[in-house]
Amino acid sequence: MTLDFGVFLDLFVSTLGYWWIIIPGTMLGILVGAIPGFSAANTIIILLPLTLAMEPATGMIFMVALYTASRLGAGIPAILVNIPGTAGAAATPLDGYPMATSGRGQQALAISFTASVAAGLITTVAALILIPWLSQVAFHLHSVEMIVVMLFGISLIATISAGDTIKGLIAGFFGLMIGYIGADVVYEAPRGTFGFLELYDKVPLIPALVGLFAISEAFVVIERNTILSEQGAVRQQDAGWGPTFEGIRETLLHWKEVVWTSLLGLVIGVIPGAGAAIASFVAYQQSRMLSKTPEKYGTGHVPGLIAPESANNGVTSGTLIPLLIIGVPGGATAAIMAVVLEYHGVNFGPDLFESQPMIAYGSFTAMLITYILLGLLILPLTRYFSRVMVVPTVYMAPVLIAFTLVGSFVPRAYVFDMGVAIIFGVIGYIARRTGYHVAAILIGVILGPLLENYFLRALRISQGDLGVLFSSKLGNLLWVLLLLSLLAPALKHYLARRKANNTGATGGRDEPGA
Amino acid sequence: MKRLQQDPQHKPRNILPDCIIPAIALIFTIYYLTTITEVPWISQASAVVVSCLLLLAIIAFVIRSAWRIRKHRETLHLQGTFQDLLGYMPTSGRRIGLLLLAVAYVWFLDSLGFTVTTFIFVFAAIVLLSSLANWKRALIISLSCSVIGYIVFVYFFKTRFPMGPIEVWLKGML
Repeated sequence: MTLDFGVFLDLFVSTLGYWWIIIPGTMLGILVGAIPGFSAANTIIILLPLTLAMEPATGMIFMVALYTASRLGAGIPAILVNIPGTAGAAATPLDGYPMATSGRGQQALAISFTASVAAGLITTVAALILIPWLSQVAFHLHSVEMIVVMLFGISLIATISAGDTIKGLIAGFFGLMIGYIGADVVYEAPRGTFGFLELYDKVPLIPALVGLFAISEAFVVIERNTILSEQGAVRQQDAGWGPTFEGIRETLLHWKEVVWTSLLGLVIGVIPGAGAAIASFVAYQQSRMLSKTPEKYGTGHVPGLIAPESANNGVTSGTLIPLLIIGVPGGATAAIMAVVLEYHGVNFGPDLFESQPMIAYGSFTAMLITYILLGLLILPLTRYFSRVMVVPTVYMAPVLIAFTLVGSFVPRAYVFDMGVAIIFGVIGYIARRTGYHVAAILIGVILGPLLENYFLRALRISQGDLGVLFSSKLGNLLWVLLLLSLLAPALKHYLARRKANNTGATGGRDEPGA
Repeated sequence: MKRLQQDPQHKPRNILPDCIIPAIALIFTIYYLTTITEVPWISQASAVVVSCLLLLAIIAFVIRSAWRIRKHRETLHLQGTFQDLLGYMPTSGRRIGLLLLAVAYVWFLDSLGFTVTTFIFVFAAIVLLSSLANWKRALIISLSCSVIGYIVFVYFFKTRFPMGPIEVWLKGML
C-alpha cells in the first residue's frame, strides 16, 4: 500500500486527463457548498443517475472534486453574511465575519481560500504517505476516547464566552439540552420532542444553524444601511487587489498554524462519524489556547479564521481513508461514495490500492488537482465576492431570509423545518441582543447528540459502569490533555502576572542605582 | 465602583431582557426532564448531568444579578424592556413585521407553492423595510428571486417543494 514517487506521478498525470469531469465537479461543489442546506452528500444523491452511469474511476473523481470544492465553498457565506454553508464551517464566522464587517471581507476570503487550499494539499499528500498508519487510528479510538474528543470541542463554549463566562455557559448548556431532543440511540425513547414526530430524529441541524446565524443576523442588521460598519464601508470602497494579496501573505506568515490544524483535521477526519464540525471547533479551541494573544480571537483575528478552515479541509482527505481501506465511510458523503462504488462491484480493502489504483490513489490525486484548480479559480474572485457586503440591508435581509428558509427545507423536505429555523432565528436574535453567544448554543446543538451517542454506547458496553470513562490508556491520556488545555489559560495568566510582578519588583530595586 | 454610583450620567442597565434566555432554557429543561422520567437511566444520565450544570449556571447568573442590582449597577423593570430588545420605532415595527412575514411565508408555502410565496415574501419584505415608493426595485428583485429559486431549487436540484399553481402550470409546460 506504499506509493513510490514514479507511480504517484503517473497517477497524477492520468488524473489530469479527467479535467473534463473535475472542472464541472469543482464549480458545482463551490455552488452547493455556498448554499446553506445543500451539501456534497445530497447533491451526489441527486446526481446518482449520472454517477452510476459513469465508469467507477470517473464517478469517484467527479464525487471527490464536488466534495472537496463544497468544503471550501461553505466558508464564503460564513465570512460574508455570517451563514455557515455547512456545519463544518460553523466556527468560520467567529473571526471571519468580524473581519468582513470591518471592511476586510476580501482579505478574509483570501485567507480562508489560501488556508483551505494549503491545508487540502498538505493533508492529501500526508494521507497518501501515511495511509497504512492512519487507517489504524479508527481502531484505537472507541466511545470513551471519542467522548474526550467531543469534550475538547465543547470546551470551546467556555473559551468563546470569555467576555461573560456565566452567560456563555448558560448558552452552551442550553444548546446541549436542545441537542438532546429526540429518540436516544440505544432505547429509541423519545425525549423533549413536544410530541412532534419530526423531532424524533434529533433537532435538524441546518435549520438550527440557519436560524441562529442567518435569520437572527437578518433581524439585527436591518437597523443599518449595510452589513459593513461605518469604517468598514470606507475601507471596502478603497479596496483593489491589495486585500487579496494581503490575505495570501497573512496566511503564508501563519504557515505553522495551517500545517498543524490541517493535520489535526486529517486525524479527526479518519475517525468514522467525527466530521468537519468537530475538527473545526477543536482546532479553533486549541489554536486559541496555544496563542499568545487569545483575547484577539472572536474579533477578526487571522489565526482564528485559519484554524477552522484548515481543519475542515484537512478532514476531506481523512474521510476517504476508512472508506477505501476498511469500507467504513468517515462521513455522509463518503457513505454515498461507498454506495456508488459498491454498485460497480468495487471491493474495499488494501487490495483496492493494487487492483484499482485509479480509484484508490486516484481519489487523492483528484483531490490534489481539485485543490490546485480551486486556488487558481477562486482567489481572483475574492474581490467580486466581497461586493456582496455593500448590498443595502433592505434588499439583503429579505433575500437572505427567503433563501435560508429554503435551505432549511432542503435536507429533509419538511415545511416543519422552516418553522424550526424561524424559532431558532428568534432565539438567536434574543441571544445576540442580550449578550449570549449564538455560537455557544450552536456548539451544544451540534456536539450534544454526538457526545450523548458515544456516552450511551460506552455505558451500554460497560453495563452502566461510569468507571468505563477512565478504562483505557489512550482515553486517560486524552483526559489529562483535556484537563491541561482547560487549565492552560489560567496557568498562563498566572505565570504572566507573576512575571510582571517580578519585573516590577526588580525594576523597583534597580531604580535607586539607575 | 463608587465613582460609577456617584456619576449622575450613569444609568443602571436593565437586565430583564438578559433573563429571557435563562428563562427559556429553564422552562425547556424542566419540560425535557418531565419527558424522561419513564426512560431507562442510561438514556437520562447525560441530560440530567447537563441540566444540573445549566441550573448551576442560572443560579450563578441570578446571584450575580442580585448583587449588581444591590450595588445599583443593574436594575430589573419592565419599562423600556421592549425597546431594549427590539429597538425604537420604526425599527422595532419593521422587525416584528419581518418576523410575521417570515411566519406567513412558511404558513402559505403548502397552499401557494414555492414560487408565489417567495415572490410575495421578498416583495412585501423589501417594501416593509424601505417604502412603497421602492416598489419597482422590489418587484425586480422578488421576481428574480422566484425565477432563480425555481430554476436552481425546483428544476435543477429537484427539491420537493409543495406544488402551487405556478409549479403545476410550469410542470405541464416543461
